[in-house]
Amino acid sequence: MLKVTNLHARVDDKAILTGLDLEIGAGEVHAIMGPNGSGKSTLANVLAGRDGYEVTEGTVEYDGQDLLALAPEERARRGVFLAFQYPVEIPGVNNAYLLKAALNAIRAHRGEPELDAFEFLALVKERMELMHMDESFLNRGVNEGFSGGEKKRNEILQMAILEPRLAVLDETDSGLDIDALKVVAAGVNSLRDPERAIVMVTHYQRLLDYIEPDYVHVLSGGRIVKTGDRTLALELEDRGYDWLREAASV
Amino acid sequence: MTTAPATRDQRRLSPAEASFAATWADRGPGNDGATALRARGFAAFEASGLPAGRREAWKYTSLRALARREFRPAGPVRAPRPEDLAALDIEGLDGLRAVFINGRLVPELSDLDGDDGLQIVPLSDALAERGHRALEIAGSIACVDTHPLAALNQAFVGDGVFIGVSPGAAPSRPLHLMFLSLDGGSPVAAHPRVVVDAAPESALVLIEHYTGRGEIRNLTNAVTELRLGHGAVVEHYRLQEEPATGFHIGGLHGWLERDARLISHNLHFGAALARLDVGVSLAEPGAEVVLNGLYLVDGKRHVDNHTRVDHLAPETRSDELYRGVVDDRGRAVFNGKAVVHPDAQKIEAHQSNRNLLLSREAEVDTKPELEIYADDVKCSHGATVGQLDRNALFYLLSRGISRKVARDMLTFAFAETVAVRIPLAAVRRRIEARIAGALPDARMIGHGVEDEA
Repeated sequence: MLKVTNLHARVDDKAILTGLDLEIGAGEVHAIMGPNGSGKSTLANVLAGRDGYEVTEGTVEYDGQDLLALAPEERARRGVFLAFQYPVEIPGVNNAYLLKAALNAIRAHRGEPELDAFEFLALVKERMELMHMDESFLNRGVNEGFSGGEKKRNEILQMAILEPRLAVLDETDSGLDIDALKVVAAGVNSLRDPERAIVMVTHYQRLLDYIEPDYVHVLSGGRIVKTGDRTLALELEDRGYDWLREAASV
Repeated sequence: MTTAPATRDQRRLSPAEASFAATWADRGPGNDGATALRARGFAAFEASGLPAGRREAWKYTSLRALARREFRPAGPVRAPRPEDLAALDIEGLDGLRAVFINGRLVPELSDLDGDDGLQIVPLSDALAERGHRALEIAGSIACVDTHPLAALNQAFVGDGVFIGVSPGAAPSRPLHLMFLSLDGGSPVAAHPRVVVDAAPESALVLIEHYTGRGEIRNLTNAVTELRLGHGAVVEHYRLQEEPATGFHIGGLHGWLERDARLISHNLHFGAALARLDVGVSLAEPGAEVVLNGLYLVDGKRHVDNHTRVDHLAPETRSDELYRGVVDDRGRAVFNGKAVVHPDAQKIEAHQSNRNLLLSREAEVDTKPELEIYADDVKCSHGATVGQLDRNALFYLLSRGISRKVARDMLTFAFAETVAVRIPLAAVRRRIEARIAGALPDARMIGHGVEDEA
């Protein structure tokens, strides 16, 4: 589904990704781990198409197309979803409106009719139950005054409603207490699907106790330096990242 | 007038000034209370002329395009058509209504039978009545020496309305003044004046709504004077939706006595050139003013808001929030001044002006000013000019929302901050529909959804 080849990217003239290769198939869950500054979030943002992330070399193929040639909204409509590390607050626009606008844009791209208000509400309420969210949240401004945990839950709710093909979760576990983490993880697990790929970018292995990945990659110095199964994450927990950094620089 | 200073004689009058000079004396029977007001108004206008850039208050707003034009005074024009009047309606607003065409009251289109305690009188009638309160208030709050266009308005004083609210009265319905600008062949200058006398402990909701039809080049030069007795509360709306070819100039001048409260909503969406001067004097302890402002400026339009609050007495409060969205080659000017006079201790004065620029060619000049001559005060002020938040924009794009819709949503969110401060639901919905632009299901976007059920 996704094939990243020799990806180089820079931010503010600073090279962050330095030749990253990654291949992800439908139905797979991948964890990308690495120390701070290794390029994890850069990878997530490059995939989603954020301004200011300049790809200088390499390719990203998504369902056979050149992902990098697409505008961010085009990527989203084709099924790419980024759960933000820091979801943005937009006071003045309520959550329901954002969800409906997003869902209808994506449905229109797929050639599906818009949902009417009734169908939309039924869908949203069902998915909100999954995320243990109160209905009152629909009328609140987007992420306005949300706690860290509420913001992350809201990201997964959006994912549950938009039903992406490729979901990239950027540090979704950061700032969550254990109860919130369980809710978020249960939400993500319910979205595992043979047609969907999930990429989790995380610093800690804690999240992986709740969402079991098929593959674990270690990112260091802008490249993937090691790939394994989830036992690799446990090893990282024990030994930290330094042994890999040393290995990579040899 | 023959008493004009010599320097004025040496300066050639602009076509506009010449047309004002030629027509002001024609107004009125010449024997009532209005006559003295007109004479004083014209003398002040003649001394100053149309303001030019060398006056600090007009540094960023040029009246050259206006000066080039000749205006004829408001007078009978064609009868309004149903579609003209439709533009005046604010959906869902149940209020008393007074319709003015090119500044002139049209009684047969108006419904002025107020509740007990509310008196609505054509201004010319009020000024003709010896001892009427209108004579005491008109010209006493809007200063002709500092506001040349208020002076011009006063030179033509007669059109407009006097609104009196009796002590303790609180009319149950809002009063909707509808000013409709219509094509009169050649450009028309209307100079309506609204004079409000809110007696002690009274309450009033007043909407001044300026609109027009067609590609007209008229001038609306409207002045409002409000006197609020102790404990009076006035909620005032000024909704400016003139055609994008017209000139709109106005003044809103208030005098507040003990514990009086004025809430002003100043909403600008139209006119090629709009300028509003707000001046509020907090004359006695406990007086409070809230100034909300919103302007949307696109095309090559120009909107200038000048506000000034004078804290003349201790324990007075002012709270100002103005926001503007400027697109295309639009230009916005904001100048907000709070003056804390000596001995006006324990006052609070807060002021904020934020501007959202949507195009490279849009321009904003904003200047908050504080002059403080007392020492025990709480004051804050701030002004910003910025662009759409890139993170928020990306957040929406990453959800599949188009760039155009994302931009409109964020613009809405920016302006909604002012809209939520509008208590009158019918007006708020109209504003929200405007700031939502082409967004689908605009009624569902903001916070207003909940309380409409």
